[in-house]
Amino acid sequence: MIALRLVRLLLVLLVVTFLSFLLLNLLPGDPTTQILGLSASEEAREQLRRELHLDDPLFSRYLSWLGGLATGDLGSSYTTSVPVTEALAERLPVTLELLIAAQVVALGLAVPIGVAAARRAGRPLDQALTALSFGLLSTPVFVLGVLLILVFAVKLQVLPATGWTPISLDLGWNLTSVLLPAITLGCAQTAVYARLLRTDLIATLQEDYITLARARGLSPRRILWRHALRPSAISLITAIGLNLGALIGGAVIIETLFGLPGVGRLIVESIFARDYLTVQGGVVLISVGYVLVNFAVDLVYVAVDPRIRRV
Amino acid sequence: MCRRLGWSFWLALGWITLVLAAAATADLLPLPRYDETLTGPPQAGPGPDHPFGTDGLGRDVLSRVVYGARVSLLVGVGAVLLGVLVGAPLGVLAGYRRRATDAIIMGVNDIALAFPALVFALAVVAFAGANLLNVLIVLGVLGVPAWVRLVRGATMVFSEREFVAAARVLGARDRTVLWREVVPNVSLPVLSYAFIGMAVAIVAEGSLAFLGLSVQAPTPTWGGLINEGRPLMENAPHVVLIPSFVMFLTVLAFNLIGDRLRAMTDVRQSNLEPVRRRTADRLPARPHDVEEGVLLQVADLRTHFTTARGVVRAVDGVSFTLERGRTLAIVGESGSGKSMLIRSVLGLTPQAGTLRGGHVYLDGQDLTELDDGQMRHILGTRLAAVFQDPMTALNPVRTIGAQVMEPLMVHLGMKRRAARARAAELLASVGIPEPARTLRRYPHQLSGGMRQRVTIAMALSCGPDILFADEPTTALDVTVQDQVLRLIQRQREERHMAVVLVSHDLSVVAEWADEVIVMYAGKVVERGPAATLFERTRMPYTEALLRAVPKLTDPAHHPLRLLPGRPPDLAHPPSGCAFHPRCPYARERCAAEEPPLFQAETPDHLYACWYPVGTGAGVVETSPEMTGASGAAEALKAAEEAEEAAELTELAGLARSPKSPESRESRESRELAEHETTDVIEGADSRGR
Ligand code: SF4
Repeated sequence: MIALRLVRLLLVLLVVTFLSFLLLNLLPGDPTTQILGLSASEEAREQLRRELHLDDPLFSRYLSWLGGLATGDLGSSYTTSVPVTEALAERLPVTLELLIAAQVVALGLAVPIGVAAARRAGRPLDQALTALSFGLLSTPVFVLGVLLILVFAVKLQVLPATGWTPISLDLGWNLTSVLLPAITLGCAQTAVYARLLRTDLIATLQEDYITLARARGLSPRRILWRHALRPSAISLITAIGLNLGALIGGAVIIETLFGLPGVGRLIVESIFARDYLTVQGGVVLISVGYVLVNFAVDLVYVAVDPRIRRV
Repeated sequence: MCRRLGWSFWLALGWITLVLAAAATADLLPLPRYDETLTGPPQAGPGPDHPFGTDGLGRDVLSRVVYGARVSLLVGVGAVLLGVLVGAPLGVLAGYRRRATDAIIMGVNDIALAFPALVFALAVVAFAGANLLNVLIVLGVLGVPAWVRLVRGATMVFSEREFVAAARVLGARDRTVLWREVVPNVSLPVLSYAFIGMAVAIVAEGSLAFLGLSVQAPTPTWGGLINEGRPLMENAPHVVLIPSFVMFLTVLAFNLIGDRLRAMTDVRQSNLEPVRRRTADRLPARPHDVEEGVLLQVADLRTHFTTARGVVRAVDGVSFTLERGRTLAIVGESGSGKSMLIRSVLGLTPQAGTLRGGHVYLDGQDLTELDDGQMRHILGTRLAAVFQDPMTALNPVRTIGAQVMEPLMVHLGMKRRAARARAAELLASVGIPEPARTLRRYPHQLSGGMRQRVTIAMALSCGPDILFADEPTTALDVTVQDQVLRLIQRQREERHMAVVLVSHDLSVVAEWADEVIVMYAGKVVERGPAATLFERTRMPYTEALLRAVPKLTDPAHHPLRLLPGRPPDLAHPPSGCAFHPRCPYARERCAAEEPPLFQAETPDHLYACWYPVGTGAGVVETSPEMTGASGAAEALKAAEEAEEAAELTELAGLARSPKSPESRESRESRELAEHETTDVIEGADSRGR
């Protein structure tokens, strides 16, 4: 079973990397212009193309690129000559911290909100919370970010609007600098998770085993947290995996908005610098990470839901 | 339909129309050009000349927002159209054809979904060139996998429905079936998702624009406006706030419309959404005496639900008593209110929209007066319940041990170790082999019979006085059914408890029950000691139930032969005697007046019927003059024989027999005497015909 999943994972990874490679290579634009400038002679370009193997058949280029990927060599940026892997490795921790912090914020808010709404389903509190999450769901992440900056950085001046302090420099400042971006990114997810949890909990609370738990004289609080939340948590975990795509997309914007030196910002910067190899590396890193996380979610899913667990 | 969509829907539609109209007629509106600088002082706040103020270059913000709407709406609509045009046919194909087609399409689709969409859109737009067409195409294509998935799901649901299957059987060509039957039904979910998809596309375009990767300046875009406004946040926050707000409202409006449309199609959701109104009101109970020395007395118990269809009277004035060591059976068809009666006695009815009335006395203590905490203590220690389906009665994600030990620890204050030992003993006492191992297992690892034993063990764990068993064997194998019932009875004897057994299986009831209550439309229609009730049945409904008992010749696992007619709609029960539309003996009075519970000639036997079966003698209240009981018995016998021969369909027709001329004749004579026996004879007559 696990072996089958691994094979599938490998297959998806191959397709994902190939498509990323293909897509960015088929698009118009000539890297040699980028490197040598518009005024360079045709011979010089020809020379460079040969050096970069740009004239080789696409597939063999893919294979050699894949070989490089396996050894951690994705080439060096045409513009800055920094090895792509190095640039990514430098930026990755920032993005990871942002993503994790955002998930913590999202779940930290979504679980109490979802539970509270489900418990009082149909009553004013539930209606208010449902409306709130609907509103949050309809707020583009950059709009929310701008609003939060306006309130907390410009008006109240309690949090920095932009900038990043690495965790190695000062933990406190690091947390301060990640707080606003994480809240911004997390809020949109909060709405998704809370809505899902609410619907799922309402369904779970109508199950026979919940009625029977009540028939055994267990308190509503105990029933909610011990009996109902765990089955519902399973759908939540799936949602976390599926939502990662949106989260990463959001991270690109958040990093740009708040000036965080993460992978997303690197990609945007490289796009404007026409730095093909770095963009390609970034896209592949994100796609592969996305696939891997979803694979991990599948495994967690199995651990949480004994119905799927192999005996 | 208008009402069902709600005011928010119309408000949202209004907003979208406004934005759409403004964007379409932007050139005609009395606005400065979007790129005209210094139309007023830079960074001026909203005022009469510039309702939305001006930006850093003195450009009119309103004009820029209106022109920006063009890009957003164009991309939103265009991307959705593209997504539908490509995704919907693929989805329909996958959902309708299934098998290989489905596998291939969905395989590709799953891989496509594995790309983080926005990052991809970024890269592609960046290299292909940031213009309207490219943005539209990229966002449209990225939406395709979601469309395929959605349309496939909807198609699958509908192609399983009868009318599609029927069309296929009738030999309609696939294409015809698709266009005539599937497409119209799929269109509402598609429409709903189209609005949500537009919201998604607008946000995505905004994100690209915010990063400077959508339509390039000087054409304004909402995302671009917000990005431009950022540096001015301190001095002129309106430059960033106004486009943000407009964008938020637009996205919200699209989402709202999509959501409302989906709510209309989603039956499941409307079932789960609890009724909004909350009532803690109690219905008044009729005066009654609290009987001394009985274990359980239920007096005039009522449970009504407020639903969209009206008030459902699930339990409507039920009274009975139960003594220690006895088994009381509650019988009736599904929907007769018997399960709800149990939940109502235990106080387990859902709270929202429920009206309760009446009293439940346990050893003279009124349980309906207790607060939640006290009631929980009673539930935990003195009352216990087992439900029909052992597959759903145990929490699938907790171990058997955790579930059996829980009441022991909560109610008896046992420590974990002691509770574990006690739980193992309990499992052993209900006949589960290897109890210690079973404690570590999950419900899905046990067979149905074993699970039901576990639920019984859980119910018995704190030594209850009364066990409420709601169809405890219906979901089980025939071979296991008897074992489980024996187990319950053995426990009843050993613990000297009382058992309330809900069942529609009269052979089970006849074997185990001391007393029987027959329920119809939430009311008790006959009640008495088991033997009397079965031998001297008075109520036509009970008679019909008895006749429906499976015969040995029936195929195994055939729970109940159908009674003719439909169970009553509890939101709108029939007038008078609720059974009259199905009753072969019904006459005018039955539809007009509700029969009270009469005392039969035998002690403790009550029935609610104007023209009871097999009587003549013993009716106290209604008929002073009675004919001999023997005549009635003969009539009953004749009736039964005739019935055996009759087809079900004929039987169903009988409910209408009083309207036929033959019976009108005899009705006159009976109305003179109000004679129960003639009733039976007439029933027999018409049956013979
Ligand atoms: S005879 Fe009349 S009162 Fe008796 S069960 Fe039939 S309909 Fe009801």
